Amino acid sequence: MIVCVAVVGHQNNPLYIQSFTEADDALKLHHIVHCSLDVVDERVNNPKKSGPTLNETFLGLLYPTENYKVYGYLTNTKVKFILVTTDLDVRDADVRNFFRRFHAAYVDAVSNPFHVPDKKITSRTFAERVSNIVKSFGLSSAG
Amino acid sequence: MGREVSESCVDSLLTEMVSSYCNRLYANKPELAAPRIEAIGYQVGHQLSERYTMERPRFSDHLEAIKFICKDFWSELFKKQIDNLKTNHRGTFVLQDNKFRWLSHMSVDPSSENGSTVEDNSVAAGESKATQATSMHLYFPCGIIRGALSNLGIPCAVSADISNLPACSFVIRIKA
Amino acid sequence: MTVDPANTSLGRMLLEEISPVVMVLSTPLVEEDCLKNGLSFLQMLNPFSSFNNIDVPVRTASDQPYRLQKFKLRLYYASDVKQPNLEVGKKKLKEIVTEAGEKDLSELCSDAPQISNALVSSESGNPSSWFQCFNKQLVHMVSFSDHEAFDHPVACLLVASSKDEQPINRFVDLFNTNKLPSLLNDGAMDPKILKHYLLVHDNQDGPLDRATKLLAEMRSTFGSSDCQLLCINSSQNVQLKHQENPWAPYKSDASPSQHLGCFLNVDDISEIKDLMQDLSSKHIIPYMEQKIRVLNQQVSATRKGFRNQIKNLWWRKGKEDVVDSPTGSMYTFSSIESQIRVLGDCAFMLRDYELALSNYRLISTDYKLDKAWKRYAGVQEMIGLTYFLLDQSRKEAEYCLENAFNTYSKLGSSGQQNATRCGLWWIEMLKTRDQYKEAATVYFRVCGEDPLPSAVMLEQASYCYLLTKPSMLRKYGFHLVLAGDHYKKCDQIKHAIRTYRSAISVLKGTTWNHIKDHVHFHIGQWYASLEMYDVAVKHMLEVLACSHQSKTTQEFFLRDFLQIVQKTGKTFEVMKLQLPVINISSLKIIFEDNRTYASPSAASTRESLWRSLEEEMIPSFSTARTNWLELQSKLIPKKYRESNVCVAGEAVKVGIEFKNPLQIAISISGVSLICQLWQKTDEGTPDGNKSSEENDNDDNCEKLTTNIRDISSDDSLFILSEVDCSLGAGETITVQLTVTPRVEGTLQIVGVRWKLSGSVVGFHNFQSIYVKKNVVKGSRKAKLSPNDNLKFMVIKSIPRLHGSIQPLPEKVYAGTLQQLVLELRNQSEYPVKNLKMKVSHSRFLNIGNRENLTTQFPACLEKERDSGQSGALANSDMSHDVFLFPEDTLIQGKMPFLWPLWLRAAVPGYISLYISIYYEMGDISSVIRYRTLRLHYNLQVLPSLDVSFQISPSPLRLQQFLVRMDVVNRTSTESFQLHQLSSVGNQWEISLLQPPDSIFPLHSLKAGQGLSCFFMLKSCRKLSNSEDTISSISTPLASDVRLVPQGSGDSVYDITRSPLVDFHHCERLQQESSQQGDLNVIDFILISRMLKINADPGFCNAPHLISHHSCHCSVASAAPISWLVEGPGTLHHNFSSFCEVKLKMTIYNSSGATTFVRMKTFDSAGNVGRLTGVNAIQSATPGNQAGWHDVSLVNDIKVASNVPGTQLGKPLSLESVCPFIWSGPSSTNVQLEPKSSVEIPLQVCVFSPGTYDLSNYVLNWNLSPSNGRGNHEEGRQASGTCQGYPYYITLLQSA
Repeated sequence: MIVCVAVVGHQNNPLYIQSFTEADDALKLHHIVHCSLDVVDERVNNPKKSGPTLNETFLGLLYPTENYKVYGYLTNTKVKFILVTTDLDVRDADVRNFFRRFHAAYVDAVSNPFHVPDKKITSRTFAERVSNIVKSFGLSSAG
Repeated sequence: MGREVSESCVDSLLTEMVSSYCNRLYANKPELAAPRIEAIGYQVGHQLSERYTMERPRFSDHLEAIKFICKDFWSELFKKQIDNLKTNHRGTFVLQDNKFRWLSHMSVDPSSENGSTVEDNSVAAGESKATQATSMHLYFPCGIIRGALSNLGIPCAVSADISNLPACSFVIRIKA
Repeated sequence: MTVDPANTSLGRMLLEEISPVVMVLSTPLVEEDCLKNGLSFLQMLNPFSSFNNIDVPVRTASDQPYRLQKFKLRLYYASDVKQPNLEVGKKKLKEIVTEAGEKDLSELCSDAPQISNALVSSESGNPSSWFQCFNKQLVHMVSFSDHEAFDHPVACLLVASSKDEQPINRFVDLFNTNKLPSLLNDGAMDPKILKHYLLVHDNQDGPLDRATKLLAEMRSTFGSSDCQLLCINSSQNVQLKHQENPWAPYKSDASPSQHLGCFLNVDDISEIKDLMQDLSSKHIIPYMEQKIRVLNQQVSATRKGFRNQIKNLWWRKGKEDVVDSPTGSMYTFSSIESQIRVLGDCAFMLRDYELALSNYRLISTDYKLDKAWKRYAGVQEMIGLTYFLLDQSRKEAEYCLENAFNTYSKLGSSGQQNATRCGLWWIEMLKTRDQYKEAATVYFRVCGEDPLPSAVMLEQASYCYLLTKPSMLRKYGFHLVLAGDHYKKCDQIKHAIRTYRSAISVLKGTTWNHIKDHVHFHIGQWYASLEMYDVAVKHMLEVLACSHQSKTTQEFFLRDFLQIVQKTGKTFEVMKLQLPVINISSLKIIFEDNRTYASPSAASTRESLWRSLEEEMIPSFSTARTNWLELQSKLIPKKYRESNVCVAGEAVKVGIEFKNPLQIAISISGVSLICQLWQKTDEGTPDGNKSSEENDNDDNCEKLTTNIRDISSDDSLFILSEVDCSLGAGETITVQLTVTPRVEGTLQIVGVRWKLSGSVVGFHNFQSIYVKKNVVKGSRKAKLSPNDNLKFMVIKSIPRLHGSIQPLPEKVYAGTLQQLVLELRNQSEYPVKNLKMKVSHSRFLNIGNRENLTTQFPACLEKERDSGQSGALANSDMSHDVFLFPEDTLIQGKMPFLWPLWLRAAVPGYISLYISIYYEMGDISSVIRYRTLRLHYNLQVLPSLDVSFQISPSPLRLQQFLVRMDVVNRTSTESFQLHQLSSVGNQWEISLLQPPDSIFPLHSLKAGQGLSCFFMLKSCRKLSNSEDTISSISTPLASDVRLVPQGSGDSVYDITRSPLVDFHHCERLQQESSQQGDLNVIDFILISRMLKINADPGFCNAPHLISHHSCHCSVASAAPISWLVEGPGTLHHNFSSFCEVKLKMTIYNSSGATTFVRMKTFDSAGNVGRLTGVNAIQSATPGNQAGWHDVSLVNDIKVASNVPGTQLGKPLSLESVCPFIWSGPSSTNVQLEPKSSVEIPLQVCVFSPGTYDLSNYVLNWNLSPSNGRGNHEEGRQASGTCQGYPYYITLLQSA
């Protein structure tokens, strides 16, 4: 199941971090997301090791921690999406699909006139939409 | 999932915006109106680029980004691509649109159809006013381009040139 | 770059850790002798047991000659040759860490380190040396395990003292087996090892001869080569100190009092050196070399070659799997596997890596087949290291080490320590290859469940992340935090703090507030636990304004913070305390130089507005078109000009916003300004020490503020106001603070201070920021630096007027006319003179004259007989200019100065009245010559009566007109009594058509009621003298009509008196219309009274009139016809059936031509529908008033009737069902001869009680163009349409 999703701005500033666990591990998740940025930078800076295909927005599995898998996605506008999940076997297609829908949601969110660019995303609609995407994660493997 | 909008609506919105800035808000000081309009364009471009770059790999260099602007971005906006792209390979790109949609309904007074190279002053005077008025309508698209590029991490300066209407060429100078 | 692996840090480590072991057995006497030097025997030898250039020729098993350069012996007492106790080891680790922690306690107090220098320190070799000791200790914890041979002693050094009796026997029983370590006994290793006999002689015990004798004896028994004599303590009882003492590094816990080796002189040391040199080169190395040969032959005999391998394989298959138990091993030293291992280790220690490698590989397969995992892992480990030292096939090396690591880890607790050691080798190897990231991950894997090692490992891991290119700072920070947590677990607080602090450097400037808060908060807590409260508080402050945190967290943070602060005992003073947040842009400073304000609202009014108001008042030169502030500054000397001026004894008010970002309430107390005041000395310059503080700034603000406090404590110079308040969750409040200087000098408002929940004092400096001020405007502000904006020149106190207007109501009804009194006071003993006053809206407020004070209102207005225009137009033409008080007015002392004012609420709405009073200082010299007092009042004017007049030619006589007055009571509750109607101008004379009683049966106009009544207007103007009367509009003759029945005693009011006439004048100007000077215009004034005095406190109950002025009513009318609807005004009816009302319309043709008139009625509710229903009217909701408002369309209709052919639809919006219908013919046609009239009967049926407007009919007329005398009516057109007049009938439900 998805533990946490995050949006990180192009200056590596957190725009949206939402955890989906009952446990109060917000701090840990923040740390994980924060660290994953290092890996993102690494991937981007030397693309030879980078994700499935060159310069694809989907960065694939960033790094496995002891009990999490962290996936990354980097938009053209240098905005990063981070997905932290506890699932052991995750289908790549699912993650891609997730990120695509998430990206759409994000774009709509920043089109919200009340959203201040490079500030935290506070829109409730966005939150609901994200939670829907998260709920439906893995259910529809079809891209 | 292309989202569509009435073109005439956009056209008149643009003209209305320009006129309200030039003739009402900053009637006396047009030098202020231009940046405002450009700024609006910037925001628009900023958002559009976010949307239109979905589902595509990241650009490895500036040229790719510019190409994106010429092809997909432009056709999203104007249902056509940029007709001609020139570059000096030192960070300056010239995008020419032979029939720029937002100028298609615009007609500058006949004395000036042969462009800004007219020398005789009487014509030049009226004509320059006309082109000046026209150029007001170009700050918006310039802003859009700048906003889009800068959101793609390419800071640049964009200017437009309308020597022969309705053709219009945008000059992009990428800040080193 | 190919660096010799042996010289890498790992290489050096291996050379130290994997080197031949020499077991030392010594007699107590020997130790005794050595202890004189503060050393044990072992320690004495230790410094000389490692050689950098021993240069011994060696031959490999295959006779390849090579030379050993570096060599090291590890000396151990026999008692130590055993697997060390785990607990002891752990204790040692703890010691190391704790000690290290103590060491860098100093820098804990310094502020957090930067990444840059962290990077530098870690790049310059090892981040902190104690990591090395720690790692070494970890390695040592698994020494002397039986599954690997390099720890097995290769030689044994037996030492006896020359003082021992029977040293020979001593030697024998030193090596008797029961004292020997288990390794030799339980068969793990070969007990027959190289023995070396040493006789120690203490030169302080006299001559050498006995020793030599003994030596000879030993030689005879043990063989000559293996025995040696060592003489020590040669320096006779003189203590000598060695510079660069060789023992110091080996003996950490040396007490400075004793000098290590103080009796060992130079030749002793050289003797020891020789001994060791000789021991290793002549005995140990050859011995090992020999051993290698032998073993090698055996191994190759049994295992090399194809057949042997097959045999071996087959044999192992056959052998049943015996799990290798840690104790009683299945591999004794005699077993071929052990021998191979020993061979390998020996070869390794003699740098014959190829040989070592081949044997290790050989054995590893065997162990694997036997599932002897620990041994297998051990061998794999060695293979990896050998590969590394051979500097070939890095992949292999890494693979082997990882393999070993995993295998060890699989073994669980037993293998844990080995795994750690293996991991450390591995890490070192990766580091030497700059694979820091991988190294970090290994560190991560190394750390097991017990916290202390994990902590250290994690910290080292973090440094690895720092060293990766490009450095991964976030991981660095993360691992530091992890390390910190582990340190905390095994309460190494200091280390925890250290790591966390370096983590801060990563987070600085980012917006990862969750992490930041966590880090700062814990550092704070830990510092507090170390009782370093100041630093603790500093960190705690970072997390105070955590608006993003959850409510509980916020409470938690705040509580802990306050606890810590309380622990410190003192009240903290914090610059830029985050709680509450101060909105600097909201800073508003109100001071009074020569502009004084009667109320805050006056102060907050735009300065420009005041200026425009006062322009004509303030002294003559300022009437020039310049900013009068400049002129003011011309008056005052320069030094006063660049700073604002305020007056001693008068408060400077400062308003500032406090915002509580948290979701929990906080209480702040003692909010007050921080000010400095330099008392003016004679030469007018601030004296030295104070002026030094002038350039105080944030960093040494403490000193400043303490200083400030004692200034204000003996409140000699100024008085500060203090405010306490508590801010609810997310609340924002504006605090009003004042400072009142008491002496002349320079006042500087430095900032604001407050106390958060009674424990922490926060400061905020205004100077650092740009101050927006509401009183200093325009060019002046530009000139001032922000600093000057807060700087005031205090001048000596001068008189200041306080003023108010009594009794000014907040709400009045439109038209209300009432008397007010302006009250001025002057506290100071100096008088003020030359008073002037200016009022913003003379239409509303009029200045009376003194005698009004005595006369009482409204009696003063009553017109007494035979007085014509006495006292008329008293000051009618002072409408817009300054009012000068009489010269003799001096305001001084306690006695208030009173002056009458007239208020008339001209139009409904919200009105702000601005009054400015100018006055000059009396006999007192000051930089300020004059001041202005500014009063500001808000007034709400409610609609009262809608009065509209319509004049139509009288049907009966020329020069006579019918005046129709439509009055509607727009109030919801009040009822009015119409008192009189007066006409002004052109000698008109007005008279009633009916007696008042018939107009108002009720004598009053109830709320919401409307009525229309008629007057006869006669022009008594002779055509001859019309010219001169044209000019006399300003001297109106009035004619009045009493609308109250004769019975009531009160008489008519004289509208030609002030203030009525003044207000009327204003109204005239206000209602200015096109036909100026037209003779056919007339003004009406309707005077009425409110009957029921309202209970609402907003209204004042002073006696008052209500006057309505409607000016410039034209008597000219376009239509040739005029008509009149007659009928009952009010009816009672029980609506058992509908009520039928009969009416009569008289139409008169005033034109000279025959006119055809067709009268149409519409049965439409129109707007009328909305106002039906008595109850609806009495329960007056705004909706109803709106409904009423529509009725006043009457005016429009009147206008429309002048403009012919208006669209019919206008008044008739057909909306709701008609409350009444016209019965009878819906249209009637009549023909009117010139100057004739005709009557049409009308009839309406009404279904419910209410007030109805029977205006929904039109009259279409057209003139027959027959006769020629129409030519003098060119202006008129041939036909037109007239809308019906409103005609109100009121039906009441009768019982």
